[in-house]
Amino acid sequence: MEPGSTSFPADLGSLRYRLARAFRGTLVWYSFLALPLFLIMVFVAYPTAIAFRDSVFTETPQGPEFAGLYHFGRLFSSGIFWGALGNTVLLGVAFLGITIPLATILATMLNRLRRGSTPLKVIYFLPQLTSSVAVAIMFNYVFQPDWGLLNGTLRSLGLEQVPLWLSDPRLSLGGSRAAVTLLAVWAGLGYFIIIILAGLQSIASDLYDAAAIDGASPVQAWWHVTLPGLRPTFVFLLITGSIDALSRFGDLWTLGGPGGAPARSLQSVVMFMFQAGFESNDYSLAAATAVVFFVIVLVITLVAFRGFLHGELKALR
Amino acid sequence: MSRTEEPPQPATMKPKTRKARLPPDWRGQFAIAVILLVGASIMLLPFFWMIATSLSRKANVSMPRVPTLWPPDPSFFNYWIAAANLPIVRLYFNSLFVVGTTTIGYLLFSSIAGYAFAKGRFPGKTFLFVVFLATLFIPFETRMIPLYLFVRDLHLNNTYWALILPFLAGGFGTFLMRQTISTIPDELIDAARLDGASEFRIFWSIVLPLCKPTLATLAIINVIWRWNDVLWPLLVTSSRDLYTVTQGLALAGKSSGVHVGVALATAVMAILPVIVAYLILQRYVIRSVASSGIKG
Repeated sequence: MEPGSTSFPADLGSLRYRLARAFRGTLVWYSFLALPLFLIMVFVAYPTAIAFRDSVFTETPQGPEFAGLYHFGRLFSSGIFWGALGNTVLLGVAFLGITIPLATILATMLNRLRRGSTPLKVIYFLPQLTSSVAVAIMFNYVFQPDWGLLNGTLRSLGLEQVPLWLSDPRLSLGGSRAAVTLLAVWAGLGYFIIIILAGLQSIASDLYDAAAIDGASPVQAWWHVTLPGLRPTFVFLLITGSIDALSRFGDLWTLGGPGGAPARSLQSVVMFMFQAGFESNDYSLAAATAVVFFVIVLVITLVAFRGFLHGELKALR
Repeated sequence: MSRTEEPPQPATMKPKTRKARLPPDWRGQFAIAVILLVGASIMLLPFFWMIATSLSRKANVSMPRVPTLWPPDPSFFNYWIAAANLPIVRLYFNSLFVVGTTTIGYLLFSSIAGYAFAKGRFPGKTFLFVVFLATLFIPFETRMIPLYLFVRDLHLNNTYWALILPFLAGGFGTFLMRQTISTIPDELIDAARLDGASEFRIFWSIVLPLCKPTLATLAIINVIWRWNDVLWPLLVTSSRDLYTVTQGLALAGKSSGVHVGVALATAVMAILPVIVAYLILQRYVIRSVASSGIKG
């Protein structure tokens, strides 16, 4: 500032003005983002980084010691981990393999029904609103071998050799894995129906007109028009369904504890992680599991969303 | 189904005549309705069986070998026991408080960050948006244990903060709000700027009211998600005073496994209010799920 200048107040004014302009132009946006960004950094980014760090360190009384891939080696040589991963994948494949075809058939029927489809939709979606814990408590009794709803019904239908369901850890159609798959189908069907119904709305109606002109029967039209038209919906459901199946925890934990009783037949990957971290206090092994889990989910998501990500980033520019 | 019997409509009522012109497909409609009703009964059967069993005092001692949908000795006995075992009012308060605050915070932070990314011009925008998007790819289970240790080191476990703070901001909400706010015409926002409105004022009085449907979707999804979460509350709270409904149910289910009637009465108390809320709001719930593809 020049000596003897009288323009001090005016300068301050212009400084304030410039600051106000800068705030309006740029700073205001940073102030909008500050708190959400802080929360994401502290509660999402930081713990994720720690999980990665912990997976390559060993906690010793002298402090953390670099361990390289030692914990991953322990993880991959653990039969319990492979059992949990195998369970998770098996349950996921069985669930999706039953639910997607079943939901497609039911959704097509709901779509064709002229009256009363709304209350039916509401009923089919009802279990989805019920927490997985409540569903598990209910189904623990539904599957009770002696007096449960399912075996009682089977018996009154004349079937005397009834399955043991949750008490039978073997890999069979009447075992624990079959039981939790039935549970998952019952609980998840409504969501799949709602998404497929939304997908059905996006199929152009002139395709059906064209099929009708060609003399296609309703079943043929369903096979040649509806199913191909639902392709994007199926891809979406496969992706979200796989990720949900991989993270399965609440219902299996309620039924079998973190060990997935009976005989670990119901232990999922997340339950293995839970047990390693909180029962064995083996945070490094839990962190290695978390990293493997992250990589599996990331691969599925990236394959699914590469188109979406591309569009999002382009839209920003 | 009486529509097909109606006399031909005048040509001005186009939508109706189109349907009326279709060949009456009575048998098809009937078959579809029967199959769907059988399916719906299977969906409802476990609920009815649970309610019937929860109303039977004898169910705690011995269960009938043939399941009934009507209790042989209807009484609310099990409910009194369940309510005495579990501070159900407190659990409801906890759940409502935690779900309410996380949902309000999530909506606010998602929409204000979404507004900045949709309409703001500032250096580093792409980079910051990638940071937000990246959180979409981090499953909660991956960061669960370090997050628990972090919360514990801050001495926040066994407080409401532990149940609320980690869920206030997220990539999904920010992304969804950015997408919605992008569709608001720039002219509207520029006009408000010319009138001298501050960015926050524009956000609060112009942008937010225009986003009501998306906000409702986000709120419903967040409520379902937070209400049903059990993994995180199990980790960070060990005091009964802080249990959420779902968590209290999970722990009660473990301890009262033998008393079938009481266990099921507890489950009914935990889910009935949610089901009533769902039946009232079903249109919005189903629309939210269908439009976002997320079930909470």
